[in-house]
Amino acid sequence: MTFRTTLAGASLGLLAALPGAAQQSENAVRFAYGQTLESPDPYFTTLRLGVILGRNVWDTLVVRNLESGEFEPLLATEWEWVDDTTLDLTLREGVTFHDGSTFEADDVVYTLSYAADPENRIVSQQVANWIESVEKTGDYSVRITTTGPTPSALEFVSSQLAIMPSDHYTGPGGTTDADLPIGTGPFRYAEYSAGGEIVLERFEDYTATDAKSAASLDRVSIRTIPDQQTQIAELLSGGLDLTMGLPKDQADQLAQMPGVEVQSGETMRIVFLQINTSEDTPNPALQDVRVRRALNHAIDRDAISENLVGEGSNTIDTVCFIDQFGCTDEGATSYAFDPDKARALLEEAGYGDGLTVELYAYRERHISEAVINYLSDVGVSVELNFMQPAAMRDAMRAREVELAQNAWGSYSIYDLSASTPVYFGGQPDDNALDPELIETLKDAGETMDTEERKSLYQQALKRIADEALAVPMFTLPVYYAGAEGLSFDTYPDEILRFWEFSWSE
Amino acid sequence: MPIYLAKRFGLAVLVAFCVSILAFALLRLQGNAAGALAGEGASAEDLAIIVETYGLDRPLIVQYASWLGDVLRGDFGTSYFFKSPVSDLIFDKIGNTVILAIMSLTIALAISIPLGVLAAVFSGSWIDRLCSLVSLLGQALPSFFLALCLVMLFAIKWRMLPASGADSWRHFILPAATLGYYITPPFMRLVRAGMIDALSNDYVRTARAKGLPAHRVILKHALRNALVPVVGLVTVQLGLLIGGSVVIESIFALDGLGYLAYQAIGYRDFPVLQAVVLLLSVVYVVLTLLSDIVNAWLDPRLRVS
Amino acid sequence: MADLSNSADPTATAELAETPPGRMSWSRLSEHPSLLIGGGIVILMILIAIFAPLLAPHDPYAQDITNRAVPPVWFEAGSWEHVLGTDQLGRDYLSRLIYGARVSLLIGFAAVSIASVIGTTLGLLGGYFGGRVDMVVTFLTTIRLSLPIILVALAVVAVFGGSITIVVVVLGLLKWDRFAVVVRATSSQVSRMEYVQSAKAAGASNFYILTREVLPNLTPQLIVIATIEIASAILMEAALSFLGLGVQPPTPSWGLMISEAKSYMFFSFWLISIPGIALATLVFAINLAGDGLRDLVSPDGRG
Repeated sequence: MTFRTTLAGASLGLLAALPGAAQQSENAVRFAYGQTLESPDPYFTTLRLGVILGRNVWDTLVVRNLESGEFEPLLATEWEWVDDTTLDLTLREGVTFHDGSTFEADDVVYTLSYAADPENRIVSQQVANWIESVEKTGDYSVRITTTGPTPSALEFVSSQLAIMPSDHYTGPGGTTDADLPIGTGPFRYAEYSAGGEIVLERFEDYTATDAKSAASLDRVSIRTIPDQQTQIAELLSGGLDLTMGLPKDQADQLAQMPGVEVQSGETMRIVFLQINTSEDTPNPALQDVRVRRALNHAIDRDAISENLVGEGSNTIDTVCFIDQFGCTDEGATSYAFDPDKARALLEEAGYGDGLTVELYAYRERHISEAVINYLSDVGVSVELNFMQPAAMRDAMRAREVELAQNAWGSYSIYDLSASTPVYFGGQPDDNALDPELIETLKDAGETMDTEERKSLYQQALKRIADEALAVPMFTLPVYYAGAEGLSFDTYPDEILRFWEFSWSE
Repeated sequence: MPIYLAKRFGLAVLVAFCVSILAFALLRLQGNAAGALAGEGASAEDLAIIVETYGLDRPLIVQYASWLGDVLRGDFGTSYFFKSPVSDLIFDKIGNTVILAIMSLTIALAISIPLGVLAAVFSGSWIDRLCSLVSLLGQALPSFFLALCLVMLFAIKWRMLPASGADSWRHFILPAATLGYYITPPFMRLVRAGMIDALSNDYVRTARAKGLPAHRVILKHALRNALVPVVGLVTVQLGLLIGGSVVIESIFALDGLGYLAYQAIGYRDFPVLQAVVLLLSVVYVVLTLLSDIVNAWLDPRLRVS
Repeated sequence: MADLSNSADPTATAELAETPPGRMSWSRLSEHPSLLIGGGIVILMILIAIFAPLLAPHDPYAQDITNRAVPPVWFEAGSWEHVLGTDQLGRDYLSRLIYGARVSLLIGFAAVSIASVIGTTLGLLGGYFGGRVDMVVTFLTTIRLSLPIILVALAVVAVFGGSITIVVVVLGLLKWDRFAVVVRATSSQVSRMEYVQSAKAAGASNFYILTREVLPNLTPQLIVIATIEIASAILMEAALSFLGLGVQPPTPSWGLMISEAKSYMFFSFWLISIPGIALATLVFAINLAGDGLRDLVSPDGRG
């Protein structure tokens, strides 16, 4: 037993408490999320909650079936690569937006063109910057021309490219006159207030398909509750039906409570320390490969993974999720936990008397603390800078961060182009800016031949590991704690499909 | 009296002005305003446009003057994080904070006036000692710790009250009780001291000598006088409550100004933070001004001076 | 200009010492049990803080993540190896608690030292010189009082990053108001007294009078305010750390310990109650001692 639960709560009579299923009769779900959503528009947030809302309120053109791995029709019924850079799509007829207007080719052209234009500053440029142009080829058909061969194009089309009604935006940065954003998805926004409560209601006229059914719930309300203990208190007192992302310890303890059900699932989310080795790094010691290797040797990833993160967590040696196309740890250096070696390497690099680094983090604070303790054990003292994700992202993009504890979910895209290049391919979050890596990853991203593409990715991953440009740690399982009687499936992409949720009798 | 009021008002305006300079400086503390406004991935041209649009190349004093002009018109700028007008955000949240402050104050007064009177009437007895113990404990128990304990009992164990949120008046009870208990000690001390003072006064003694029942003497004569300084403390505490609810609002995820400010700190959303600091300071200044006016009106000695 | 004692916390209104300093004897001290008890606990905590390395059974930083959240010895699963158990990272809780006393006391004393220097200087100048100087001092105090202190502290810490030094400096720069208000009122009374006037007449410099004649008379009041402010500074540090913006991990601070334990509170209540009780006891003891001191300084001034 690695964690001993003393049910002091039991003596307080907590066990007698049963979360009421008051929401059952109302056919509604009350969900809480730990971080504040900056925008109701999925193009203007990187938060997982934004991705979840994106899928529930909007539809994409195609969608990936997670079981078969195949793409399936959604707003597009057929698609075809005419050549390496031309994708033709036929659109579904009879689909309506939440405001009653009809979905047609103009909406697709409008949305994709808006997202692809860097002037409009959507938060994650890589989801659309491969689009050269979009043209309407009929009322219900469009043609996408790419900037070059883009093997991962459909990955983005099927995940992040939600289709908005035409003329939704009034300018760059997501400005709009609409009170609430409008989509074609199974839920529509009923309420949104910045930093406050979000309410979704079932969209009665949703066009159900094999890939995405209509919703059974009437209503989903979403609150931001930053404190974990407040989330737990709400769950235990029946004020909440579902939370996600509680740490292992809390999930284990909640699982023992009557009336609460805990589900855990493996995810694509990888935790790693990003090291700022760029020319502008605020800490030049990090440019020394011996220091970076020492950091890798100092942290017992297995112990953290096993004890703090729990079942469903696997250690990783490269900065990508192993099931993503192109991800492999073959040939990449793996750094075993070896504090003595770490000390020796630091000594050799001239930091035998100690070294101070600043660590930025925005979630899993308990992991940061464990990391800090491991590092201080080999003589690296760490100053922790814990902040909200958007603020950390800005600091990273300004290259002000020395070490960043990232937990990257790849937007649930099963292709390496959604992970490694974000941090090493010269994109805004890249804090290594290694020309060789940028070149290799760019080539790989434009290679249509699968074997060649794989070998280019492997080459890049090997370089990252050999040069110790990051400290890859482990994958993160996610825990869902919900009221008894709420039935839903979880998926490794961490997207809550509220349209599949229902209350059992 | 008019001269006193005019002077007092002038001082309030001057204080508010200086606070606005401090609030403006707060935004500048973080340095790269253009970068923050432009958002991530902004090009050099974007930055140049931002610098021009917002006039960031002008001398600081000119920028301050134009910012102050905007603020006086109710325009606090745009939130870095939500990209929406700060004034809209504040307008959305201020109601919850005001409700919380008033409820806390009501609770504090409901506890402190009777206890203060009791402590004074039985000055030196065990009741007095008990009251001062309660007051000392109130000051010693960290409010966030008390809040968590209340949640555990009332929300989870007995399921009487909601654990967080601001949907109904019931949601405000636990946070208001926490804050109310926390500000009870100063009120209690003040009521007690005022009562002891009043009870020793000649007119009270006269009233007693006339054979008026003790409770009428205490309630009608002594308490009324003892409560005069409490008015001043009420306004001051109201100001502090509105500013001091950051911790409690965030524990109870109560969507008010304090919670907004706490979130803004996390996102480095300086326009929001600046606006909240300025607003709370001005609220405090206005409240103390009101309290001084009320005091001047209640206290004839001040009226002539 | 308004009477500042209206705007400030009226409990701080000064009363002039009737007993000159240095004449507090043991017999008088024993008449004040609150001072004895409160002071005794505070001194004990200070000793614990000073001798932390000798008293702590383990290294407060040594984590053992295979042995986490071991309950204290009085629970069935507890052991004498870790008397107060271990925390969520397997660090010895008693050792962290002992070292945490250092952080709380250090921050309390250091911040209040800064605050008392600022507040006393301003108050002395305002009270002694009066007129324009006094107006400026009163004005500065009013501005300080109108700033929402927690929010400003949070904002500054957010900009400069959390550390013991930053927390001390921020609290020191924000908590001088009570010193200024009380010292101003008292020193203006003292400076009208005969012996000060005669010193003036004898041609003593202002500096001499302020430091030799006025200041010593204020010492009892200063000590009383300092105790109240130390208690309040300790609580504020805890609140900042609780919000994650104060002392940063892995430093053992009681506020931070409460913060780290809060998500365990419904299941392992001892994790949060141990540092919570330690914090409340320290603050209670300081306030108790402060109350006793106030009685000692001005026997009728328990207002």
